[in-house]
Amino acid sequence: MRRAASDVGGTFTDLVLQDSGTGHVTIAKVLSTSPDPSTGAISGFEALVAAAGVEAGSIDYLAHASTVASNLVIERSGPRTALLTTEGFRDVLHLQRQKRAVSHDLFYDKPDPLVARRDILELPERIAADGSVLVALDEQRTADLIVEIVDRGIESVAVVLLHAYVNPDHEHRVREIAGDVAPELLVSLSSDVSPKWREYERSSTTVINAYVKPRVSRYLDGMQASLGNLGVSRPLHVMQCSGGLATVEALKRHPVTLVESGPAAGALMAGIIGRASGRDRIIAFDMGGTTAKVSILQGGEPQMVEDFEVAPTTKLRPGSGLPITTPAVDLIEVGTGGGSIAHLELGVLAVGPESAGAAPGPACYGYGGDAPTVTDANLVLGYLDADYFLGGDLVLDTDAARRVIQRDICDRLGLSLEEGAYAIHAVANARMANAMRAMTIQRGFDPRDFGVVAFGGAGPAHAVSIATELGSREIVVPTNAGVISAMGLLFAPVKFEFVRTLVTRLETGSLERMNEVFAELEERGAAGLAEADAGAGTSFVRNALMRYVGQGYEVAIGMPAGRLATADVDATRTRFLETYERLYGYAEPHGDLEIVDYRVTASAPPVPFELPRIGRDEASGDAAVGSRECYFGDIGFVESTVWDRYRLRGGMSVGGPAIVQERESTTVVPPGAVAVVDEWQNLVVSVGTTP
Amino acid sequence: MTVDPLTLAVVSGGVVAIAEEMGWALRRTSFSEAVREGEDCSASVFDADGEMIGAGNYAPGHLGTSPTAVAGVLEAYPRTEMRPGDAFLVNDPTMNSGHFPDIFSVAPVFYGDEIVGFTVVTAHHVDVGGAAPGSQAIIGIVDIHQEGIRILPVKYFSEGRPIRQVLDLIAANVRIPDQVVGDLRGQFNANMVGAAKICELIDRFGPETYRAATAEALRRSNEAMREHIATVPSGRYEFIDHIDDFGPDTEPIRMQLAITVGDGRIVADYTGSSSVTRSGVNSYLAFTTAYTLHAVLSVVAPRLPLNSGTMRPVEVTAPAHCFFNARYPSPTGGRAIVARYLVDGVQGALAQAVPDQVAASSSQLANSTIGGVDLEAERPWVYYDLTFGSTGARPNKDGCDGLVSGFNTGNIPIEIHEAKWPVRIDRFGFIPDSAGPGTYRGGLAVRRDVRNLADLARLTNLHDRHVYPPWGLFGGGGGSLGRIVLNPDRADETDLHSKSIVDIGPDDVISFRTCGSGGYGDPFRRDPDAVLGDVAEGWVTVEGARRDYGVVIEGDRVNEAATAALRGMR
Repeated sequence: MRRAASDVGGTFTDLVLQDSGTGHVTIAKVLSTSPDPSTGAISGFEALVAAAGVEAGSIDYLAHASTVASNLVIERSGPRTALLTTEGFRDVLHLQRQKRAVSHDLFYDKPDPLVARRDILELPERIAADGSVLVALDEQRTADLIVEIVDRGIESVAVVLLHAYVNPDHEHRVREIAGDVAPELLVSLSSDVSPKWREYERSSTTVINAYVKPRVSRYLDGMQASLGNLGVSRPLHVMQCSGGLATVEALKRHPVTLVESGPAAGALMAGIIGRASGRDRIIAFDMGGTTAKVSILQGGEPQMVEDFEVAPTTKLRPGSGLPITTPAVDLIEVGTGGGSIAHLELGVLAVGPESAGAAPGPACYGYGGDAPTVTDANLVLGYLDADYFLGGDLVLDTDAARRVIQRDICDRLGLSLEEGAYAIHAVANARMANAMRAMTIQRGFDPRDFGVVAFGGAGPAHAVSIATELGSREIVVPTNAGVISAMGLLFAPVKFEFVRTLVTRLETGSLERMNEVFAELEERGAAGLAEADAGAGTSFVRNALMRYVGQGYEVAIGMPAGRLATADVDATRTRFLETYERLYGYAEPHGDLEIVDYRVTASAPPVPFELPRIGRDEASGDAAVGSRECYFGDIGFVESTVWDRYRLRGGMSVGGPAIVQERESTTVVPPGAVAVVDEWQNLVVSVGTTP
Repeated sequence: MTVDPLTLAVVSGGVVAIAEEMGWALRRTSFSEAVREGEDCSASVFDADGEMIGAGNYAPGHLGTSPTAVAGVLEAYPRTEMRPGDAFLVNDPTMNSGHFPDIFSVAPVFYGDEIVGFTVVTAHHVDVGGAAPGSQAIIGIVDIHQEGIRILPVKYFSEGRPIRQVLDLIAANVRIPDQVVGDLRGQFNANMVGAAKICELIDRFGPETYRAATAEALRRSNEAMREHIATVPSGRYEFIDHIDDFGPDTEPIRMQLAITVGDGRIVADYTGSSSVTRSGVNSYLAFTTAYTLHAVLSVVAPRLPLNSGTMRPVEVTAPAHCFFNARYPSPTGGRAIVARYLVDGVQGALAQAVPDQVAASSSQLANSTIGGVDLEAERPWVYYDLTFGSTGARPNKDGCDGLVSGFNTGNIPIEIHEAKWPVRIDRFGFIPDSAGPGTYRGGLAVRRDVRNLADLARLTNLHDRHVYPPWGLFGGGGGSLGRIVLNPDRADETDLHSKSIVDIGPDDVISFRTCGSGGYGDPFRRDPDAVLGDVAEGWVTVEGARRDYGVVIEGDRVNEAATAALRGMR
């Protein structure tokens, strides 16, 4: 069995291939391509199979993750998109919920929607809260508006009609009419994408779906076709923000679940590594070329959220982004990566969020980049080896890095070259430390109780300093740290969530309906898994989202498999009251209860995890391969030992100052820190007990 | 004892996170749309001395008055009588955010046998009885006892169990008891979540370190606040504004504010303002103080947290029985409209000192209530409307369209309102040409049309700025006036008074129209391309562009010559 995965980031595309017979892993890392990232992913795949010495056609399983959807939203670079909504409600998308993300900041602004007001058009129709039709859909007007939308050159439309979560008939009819009048127009219905009440949140989710749909569809089709041309016969599995894999067809219908999906794979893998090495509480820190991502795992499981926000206007404040109502791994992303550009803002040094990306890239890449980046700074500081970046595949131009830092930062701030470079490194660290604080302290966790698993191409060069600032005592740098998210894709489950909203009293009279709904959802789950070629050994987890009659939010209560009987009604009631009391300290024993959402999670059996071994010849010889001068702030330049990660063996220890190099990443062990290689080949850096 | 910087950060950030989480728990467990959707609520954490050490991102009027509620409960119930799992209610305007509907739940936090602090969870209850559904009527109210049930500090949960007699007494005196009692339980749930989380925090550091860290955080907040105040030029800054009236054919209510800055302190004095009114609109001093403080913080120290340390350097005074220092038994149900004047007034005064740190006047909220009786079910119903407009223009950018100012609450989704009450929302959107013009324009006014479906219902209006528009700054124009229109575009279309009480029948439509907000700077200096963009999006009409900005738009472009000529004529 050969399994391969590719993870497209803003700067690099990471690829891994594992032969489950031998356990050997082959790795490739190539620059991401823009505007079409599938070009880089495909050429990377060719490089990967060549390096592994296997035929593309012999790959049994293929998984993929991509930032393509997130980037479209964050950069507002998607195509012009339209919204069709109920007459009288054109402005719901712009009004939003009107609350402030920060109470006393007069300069706060809400996020701009993805659709301009002029492209929001109103349909004469109206459905009441009980699903009855008050005003029939004006079909002629619908057809006219769809023609109008197409005439404006728009290829994707969101349809959000009031109360469509109860009665989707009008939305369905709009799709039929669009199919007749403009079969090429991509249509996203709110009753499909996010069948939940609250019109703004449903609109936001559906609009994001419509906004990313054209590009994501072309992208995924292109990937599938190109892989086919290379001889790959297996379907592509694509990561979703929930941490589950889905088929290309499913993703093309609901591309909104692709948003923030790549980081989810990294978080999953950090959890696997943490659990395998006996660590229960983990901060996953993933720093790539464009952004850094922080998430939290307990017992190997990532923290999940029922909804999340993308592209916040105000740093790290909930409420300032565009809401997406779909289950997701909880994470925070900040615009600090290896390619983030250092510049002066009102005379103060700032790093990111603008990124040089892969093109033009950092100045030291020699691809025309002319702005100083974090990678340039790390090179000047001696942390990176100009001749061993990506194992020597990319020779870095140290002079170019020096020149741009001197010109843009040092000359203007009156700093020496090293001071300027170190300031860039430190400012980037401070931003990432803030993200870690937001993920821990602001959520009531103490970072000192957590180990940090650091990965991504740039993560290991920064993690020790950041973790020290937060008081974390232990930083785990796994092998192949530069491609951990891709590795996570190999072990992620194929997983689908099916939800149906049907408000039902919890009483024996409802049993028949409850059984019907769960059976229907499990049928859909089985079909989804069959489509994904993951039929055998599937499992279904049932949840009922419940509340007291009259409330607006629900608590998830696990439900037994099979046909529910009278005794299950009382048992469910007891479970609800116990859960509610545990969560909120008191549960009124006599209140009426109702089920609002029925949810079935259908998953294929998990891929058995084997800690991957390095798929090259076992390097031998002295692991200390040299030394060079590295700059550490107040201490200045210090002679630091350079270690070859592939020659380190379990039990060996490396005292700082030291640099540990592997092909895809470089770990910086500052003075005073000690790194020990554990039995799983992780580099475990300890930074003492005082922050 | 000294506290290391990281522990200080974890504890001071931790209590804020706990307050946020308490508010989240309240919304998750509450029954009313006002709380769970509108977030007309708050949560905060106090130390054992009754000092506020952490507040969530919630309603400033509730947060700023929470210290008073803790003090009130402590005066009525000695600490020695308190047990874990106890909680106390209070809604008297001398101790809460200024009217009966805001019921505060105060609970001690025990760590072992010792009280280590208090949590306060507040909720606006949509009805607390009294003369009108919604308990916010202005006309015909002469004393506070017409405004519903008055709760002086009373224990309602004892050692984790509800005290049935208290809840039953409240339930019997309000129109929608399921929602009110459901939300009171939710408030207790949030208190308990807070207590559990605080104990977890103390488990990690020990009570002594926790106490030292919270005290140090307050000390530093206080110091930072004083430093921020010191950056404002010392002096006395005055501002005068007017609330339209307190009913048809009544006088305007004068607000006279003098802010004195100096010695690291700010004193806001409302001497010279009108006296209390014989109506449901008056402002008790705790409420006046809370919003004045909120506005001072917004202008002077937007990045500092709200806690007792940042509150201390700000003093608010007003003579007794002045409109801004009403005393028992002055009624106060409709005091929500006063917050707008307090927030804007501080900005108007401080505009003279720090013009780059203030915004022009923002939209007033429309906070009307519709109530009636469901004859079949033999019980009353109450629909609570919250229509917010936009924020005033800033020195470097436009006001924010469709964002609340002052109150930090949200709108209530149409789908949720319609699922619960006999109403239908016909329309919810912006009103073009309503923003105060300026180099930077204000935000637009918002219109929400509500159709009554019940046989007979009573509309109790609570709105303002139908007479005095929101003002602009430094040459910026004022926003459009607010209106409430009964049956718009019909033969019987009628403009209603902002505080009127009107009986309505089936299919009567009430169109709430907030005012627009004020502009900043001369509108004839606004970038013509920005005006063009506003016209393309429908925020400004072609006629509005010409009239208010001197910009001539033809098709999808600016006629530059005609614009220059028009602008030159002024």
